[in-house]
Amino acid sequence: MLDRMRGLPWWKIAGLALVLLLPLAVSNRYYLHVLNLVGIYSLVVIGLNLLSGYTGQVSMGQAGFFGVGAYVSALLMMRLNVPFVVAVSAATLVSALCGVVIGIPAMRLSGPYLVMATVGFGEIMRLIMVNWVPVTMGAAGLTGIPLPSFLGMQISSERGFYYLICAVLYLATLEALRLSNSKVGRTFLAIREDDLAAGAMGVPTDRYKVAAFAISAAYAGIAGALYGSFAGVASPDNFTFDVSVLLLCMSVVGGNRTIYGALVGALALTVFSEALRFLQGYRLIVYGAILLATVIFMPQGLSGLAPAVAQVFRRMHFPGHKGQNGVAGDKGETCR
Amino acid sequence: MQYLLNGLPIGATYALIALGYSLIYASAGVLNWAQGDMAMLGAYLAYTLNRIVGLGFLPSMLVAMACAALVGTLVERGVLRPLRRRASPSINLIIATLGVAIIARNLALIVWGPDPQLFPSPVGSRTISVGSLNLLPQDLLIVGVAIFLMLLLQYFLRFTREGKALRAVAQDRMAASLMGIVVERSDSVAFATSAALGAAAGILIAPLFFVTFNMGAVIGIKGFVAAVVGGLGNIPGAIAGGFVLGLTEAVAGGKISSGYRDAISFGVLILVLWLRPSGLFSRVNRAKV
Repeated sequence: MLDRMRGLPWWKIAGLALVLLLPLAVSNRYYLHVLNLVGIYSLVVIGLNLLSGYTGQVSMGQAGFFGVGAYVSALLMMRLNVPFVVAVSAATLVSALCGVVIGIPAMRLSGPYLVMATVGFGEIMRLIMVNWVPVTMGAAGLTGIPLPSFLGMQISSERGFYYLICAVLYLATLEALRLSNSKVGRTFLAIREDDLAAGAMGVPTDRYKVAAFAISAAYAGIAGALYGSFAGVASPDNFTFDVSVLLLCMSVVGGNRTIYGALVGALALTVFSEALRFLQGYRLIVYGAILLATVIFMPQGLSGLAPAVAQVFRRMHFPGHKGQNGVAGDKGETCR
Repeated sequence: MQYLLNGLPIGATYALIALGYSLIYASAGVLNWAQGDMAMLGAYLAYTLNRIVGLGFLPSMLVAMACAALVGTLVERGVLRPLRRRASPSINLIIATLGVAIIARNLALIVWGPDPQLFPSPVGSRTISVGSLNLLPQDLLIVGVAIFLMLLLQYFLRFTREGKALRAVAQDRMAASLMGIVVERSDSVAFATSAALGAAAGILIAPLFFVTFNMGAVIGIKGFVAAVVGGLGNIPGAIAGGFVLGLTEAVAGGKISSGYRDAISFGVLILVLWLRPSGLFSRVNRAKV
């Protein structure tokens, strides 16, 4: 055990310890609640990064998939008494199917037309939630969604949710990293850089684009299922266009061309938004200004700063070593 | 018939917003998500001038449009230009305009408060009945003014120096710049014109609904839909798209279900996009390697 741990860099162990011990140190339930929300949003944004950052397909309807996940798992648990784990899996599957359904018309679209189609999808999902009253309970939404329980344990505290969300997020991040470093991930990049060229090289681009949509929808679906149980309620107001926009902002602010950028973006925007509460009415103005400043001055998002930060660290540890030159903007290719 | 009649004024407003999206997209290649908020700003400014300062309807409308044009130029200078200079990915431009929209909306919330404001129609609200059809004088005013503005825009694009430059930039940015057209100035003109058109739409629609700080969100999305249906960057297409959307909504809302009205229009839209990926009224452009 110790031998294996010796191979791990110190910051990984420190990070793991920090993540595991954090809820014991934080006694304020509100902070934990916010952290849990960050975790749930991170899940959606990881999927969004795979879709928009890696494959180059922008989605402004991600809240739709998020909502499908929440409603499907909540309804299964409430109406059919399905166990939590099964309900989450089913929600993920249904959400992925929705991803395929929207992915098929979307595979021929690009730029503003794709944005439009995804906006339309998100709105349609929200309107179904509002109007299909017998099933979704309309604008009031579903209340009293059961708490998650598995292996005989019921999760009811913020702390319990924290560990559950962390575990899911950890697995989801690993899977996303594995995917992005695989042949599939490289194909996604090829499509982003030039889908005609990728097609000419024999890549079935349509199939990969639909797959990217399905994968990102699955991520949003898991997140939605967790969100429903976590919040205890799911109403159409939780899945509006504004939420889709927020998710996209997280993705871009964090840096949508990396997986960990999703975590950075979700954390940064949620923390900004909560920390600025003392500004009251001016809060969202400052928030908007921060958003503007980030996209203007950090085109690669916050995670684009990572190479520079890493260099500073390296200098601190090896004062003689100059570090590499020109590390910022690793994949400096831009879309236009 | 009554539904069609109801759809016309709404369609005209959508068309004005759609023109804004299309102009900016044609010239600068950007989706401006703050377009709907220009309508909101215009409506609030005109409301303030008309109800509080006491100007007439027409002067307040003109001043409000001019102010909106100024704001549009500021957005282009302050936000778009630095982004372009850095050659940012297009998704960053979208986020930036969303940031502008958030700022505009919340500034309006602080200045004018959260309560919806009533902006009475300048032409009264007595219903005109023709046979079995009913319409408001404001409906006629909306359609009339909208058509007048569209003609004015055509004149501007065809016969003025700035308008011609704008069309040249829309056709081929690189070539236009080589011919000595200052393309960035053209972008400013596009933003200013679009903002003024958006403001006009907001002012015209205000008497039918209330003026609220977040009215821009709905109008903005609808205008965007209209622009996409017509083919972004296509001026006659945007106008047609606006009317098509307004009429579809009125008929779908009246005949099928008012709750699902928007869902139906979005569904139709996705179908249209599937069959014709670059809008109903555009020539099909095949991408070449």
